[in-house]
Amino acid sequence: MIQKILYNFKKYKFLLQQLVSRDFKVKYKRSVLGILWSLLNPILMMAVLAIVFTNIFKFSMPGVNYLVYLISGLVLFNYFSEASNLAMSSIVGNFTLINKVYIPKYIFPLSKCLFVGINFLLTLIPLYIVIIVTGTDLNIYHFLLPYAYICLFMFTLGMGLILATISVFLRDMFYIYGIIVMMWTYLTPIMYDISMIPAQFQTIFKLNPLYQFINFARSIILYGQMPTLGQWAGCGVSAVVVLIFGIYIFRKKQDKFIYYV
Amino acid sequence: MKKETMVKINDVSMRFNLGIEKEFSLKQWFVDIFKPRKSKKVKPEFWALKNLNLDIKKGEVVGFVGSNGAGKSTLLKIVAGVMKPTVGSVDVYGNICPMIELGAGFDPQLTARENIYLNGAVLGYSKELIEDKFNEIVEFSELKDFLEVPVQNFSSGMVARLAFSIATIVNPEILIVDEILSVGDIGFQAKSLNKMRSMISGGTTVLYVSHSLTSIEELCQKAIWLDKGEVVDYGEVKTVCSKYAKYVKDNHIKI
Repeated sequence: MIQKILYNFKKYKFLLQQLVSRDFKVKYKRSVLGILWSLLNPILMMAVLAIVFTNIFKFSMPGVNYLVYLISGLVLFNYFSEASNLAMSSIVGNFTLINKVYIPKYIFPLSKCLFVGINFLLTLIPLYIVIIVTGTDLNIYHFLLPYAYICLFMFTLGMGLILATISVFLRDMFYIYGIIVMMWTYLTPIMYDISMIPAQFQTIFKLNPLYQFINFARSIILYGQMPTLGQWAGCGVSAVVVLIFGIYIFRKKQDKFIYYV
Repeated sequence: MKKETMVKINDVSMRFNLGIEKEFSLKQWFVDIFKPRKSKKVKPEFWALKNLNLDIKKGEVVGFVGSNGAGKSTLLKIVAGVMKPTVGSVDVYGNICPMIELGAGFDPQLTARENIYLNGAVLGYSKELIEDKFNEIVEFSELKDFLEVPVQNFSSGMVARLAFSIATIVNPEILIVDEILSVGDIGFQAKSLNKMRSMISGGTTVLYVSHSLTSIEELCQKAIWLDKGEVVDYGEVKTVCSKYAKYVKDNHIKI
């Protein structure tokens, strides 16, 4: 079983590479700055946020720089919302291929999560610029951050597999999910802190896996603290559970895709 | 000498639900609520293939004939692994090159050069193989001057030429061909036919679907006549083709 998975992975590694590089080529075709936009876009977005939130709204967060607080949450959340959206439409969008050639179907959601993942890594550069410019302390725990990123990736891939499966059978999902993501944005403590939520709801808010990942990253970036055991577990468990559930659903239904797309 | 089996089709049946489009719609749901319960709709079913058994040996070139909707393409898709049969199983011994619809893996926005890599990867080629054979592909397709042009600006003949060149660059053990030799201009048709012949003489097993009886008689040794998902006749190519031609003449050309 594992041998078969490894063999398949080796065989289709090149296809995965090609699909990811295709996405980049298509995205920046005929644009003068090309791939620089992957860097420029988050920089400009962060500049706008900095102006809006620190000069106009005058938001603040006790003890930490609000801009760093906001951006560290936003970067993670944006990865999730963009990657899960693209992964959702990847099966329906690649129907012509699925209908003609045999390719393992999971490769499409996976390639989308990787593609957005590369963009995500590029947005870390402006994040660190903001961290340094605002004088937030850098610490040794930053080397633990990849754990949160990997958990986020696994969670997003799992969600992508689930969404891709549902959307094959129910196209309405594309519209429903747009609303879900919007609700999710406001229910995740990105712009505000979880302590502002009434105490009785806080537990429910903490069950949100995206809060777990963001919280893990923030305790390192903003507070310079080693994440607690609970934080480590919260990230790992939510990522693994959702990924396994996603793989299970996707595998169970993938042979039926061809009749519905 | 007993030849080894390359493709074995065991009692394969394939069902399609024709009503699949309506199943989930809200409108249908409302209509169903106000309908008396007993008149529950029966899902219209369509059996594209019925209890098919076939045994294709190494080196055989088998042609599939039959009217539209006889199940030819469905069968090839099942052999290629694109679809799973409703009942039965297919055993394939060897690597398959499916030429079911050429250029399905192209991205119209990318250039020909980029598409050679992408489409090669889709067909399961390794990076080394594509780099190795890149010049050969370009040369065969005669598109050297258009390598940096996005494929969306290509004519359909050029797309087909590029796709055919990529698909046939390897020597697969089993080749599945669905109605593709009618691509390109006459010159390229002859060239691709030659390429097919050389692959066949190299020992490749071929499953070939075409509506052109002449090309089937020219390339194949055996032929299978499918109708409504069932085998009507299977045997030597000349006999089957002439029977089929006679059937078509008797049944369809009534003036």
